[in-house]
Amino acid sequence: MSTFLSIISCMTCVSSRVLWRSSSSICPLFKPVPTGLTAVWAAGKKDLVDVPVLKEDELEEQFVRGSGPGGQATNKTSNCVVLKHIPTGIVVKCHQTRSVDINRKRAREILREKVDVAYKGELSEVLVKKKDSVLRKQEKRRKANENLERKKQYKEILAAESNSGNDTV
Amino acid sequence: MWRRSLSAGYARAACRAAGAKRFWDLLTVRTCSAPALPAGRITALQAVDVWRRHYEERGVSEPEHSSSYIIAHLLGAKTIESLDRGSLTEFLTRDKLEQVWRLCSRRLTRMPVQYVIEEWDFRDLTLMMRPPVFIPRPETEELVELVLTDMKKQPDTQSTCLEVGCGSGAISLSLLMALPQLKAVALDQSQAAVDLTMENALRLGLQDRLQVYHVDVIKDAETALRLCESVSVLVSNPPYLFTEDMASLEPEVLRFEDRSALDGGKDGLNVIRQILTLAPQILSNHGRVYLEVDPRHPPLIQAWVEARVDGLHYVETRHDITGRPRFCTLQKDTQVKSHRDRLGLRN
Repeated sequence: MSTFLSIISCMTCVSSRVLWRSSSSICPLFKPVPTGLTAVWAAGKKDLVDVPVLKEDELEEQFVRGSGPGGQATNKTSNCVVLKHIPTGIVVKCHQTRSVDINRKRAREILREKVDVAYKGELSEVLVKKKDSVLRKQEKRRKANENLERKKQYKEILAAESNSGNDTV
Repeated sequence: MWRRSLSAGYARAACRAAGAKRFWDLLTVRTCSAPALPAGRITALQAVDVWRRHYEERGVSEPEHSSSYIIAHLLGAKTIESLDRGSLTEFLTRDKLEQVWRLCSRRLTRMPVQYVIEEWDFRDLTLMMRPPVFIPRPETEELVELVLTDMKKQPDTQSTCLEVGCGSGAISLSLLMALPQLKAVALDQSQAAVDLTMENALRLGLQDRLQVYHVDVIKDAETALRLCESVSVLVSNPPYLFTEDMASLEPEVLRFEDRSALDGGKDGLNVIRQILTLAPQILSNHGRVYLEVDPRHPPLIQAWVEARVDGLHYVETRHDITGRPRFCTLQKDTQVKSHRDRLGLRN
């Protein structure tokens, strides 16, 4: 029901003229990362712990633009923020608080995590596959060794039996 | 018959569509007067639906948001989304139901939600709201962000900011909350605004760093100048609407908010011009003015300041989230002319 309500509330924002806009003239809420997300790929090391920071120019914020000058001229309580990460196409909606500013910040936090999972998700899949193949190889080697060991013991038993057989005859 | 049918309806309804239809059939809505209280018991979610419908039928704007915010508030929450399913689906007590009906009915007069529940949030603050003191707008949150970004670049151990037209105190209190070293002076020509700002300051524990004065910067410029010395920031969301635009304002604004907090005169610049005229005497060297304005204002302000205000230069225009030019930043030059020269300047 809460999802239903937030969809409804977001639909009321969408019913007016809806535009997408790159946030450029608002002071950036995140520091720009020089190498961006490519840093994660390039490094490929486990010790690169930092969650990649979102660049404002890779984001698009959906807003409802009514007619007239806005600002003091109108008093609206709808404050749903819809934020899109252009490179991945991931979209988040935030309607958690009564403050547009806080919703925008939270939307960025949520989006940052989702983008991180999207990228790291692929990375960890690679790692998991790699780990799997390593384990499989180890298992194979272990079994091979076991077989060798068994064969060796069998040979020894055979050798021992033939010796004792000779003795009794 | 009414009571029995209603409870029979509820027993089967739960949240299913078929049940909901029966529920609506049973609940008679009178269009002429305030909607009657249901005889039986309903849940918070059902109340939200009932009132959303009432608002829709009577042309009240933001029907869904209005009913959700009011009812959430009565259940002790800020948003309906933050309430758990249990709270939303259990029956409201009779007492609570009456509260819902009383508050939701107020919204039928187009009273803004913020006045109905007597509070609203501005950034991370919850502020008391009371008519006719101006309700902070979301754009103004961006103005505060702008000021904070600049102020954090120059960490001053002791700085003072001045706010002209503080209203509920939103801007000053946000700045004080974010910058523990800051002191603030706030002015408003409305006694109601001065009182509300002080009340909000007390609630937030910021009263020691804030001084609030009942002053009209146009009628009583001398007093204003006497109260402030060498501030590093002058910030304002002054009345900036054009007088001719006042009549077409939505009822929420026109009927309930202080017109003198909105009307900036023929070109919307009356208060802005006065603030900028006084700015060079109020600001310390390199001190800045931050204004929220009408989208038509920035080029007009820039031209006017360059022609008429020595000691102040236009820095930049910033846009709000809707892409409208909304914020003007100006800075005091090193060259300062005498006090007398400044007062001689006219619009």
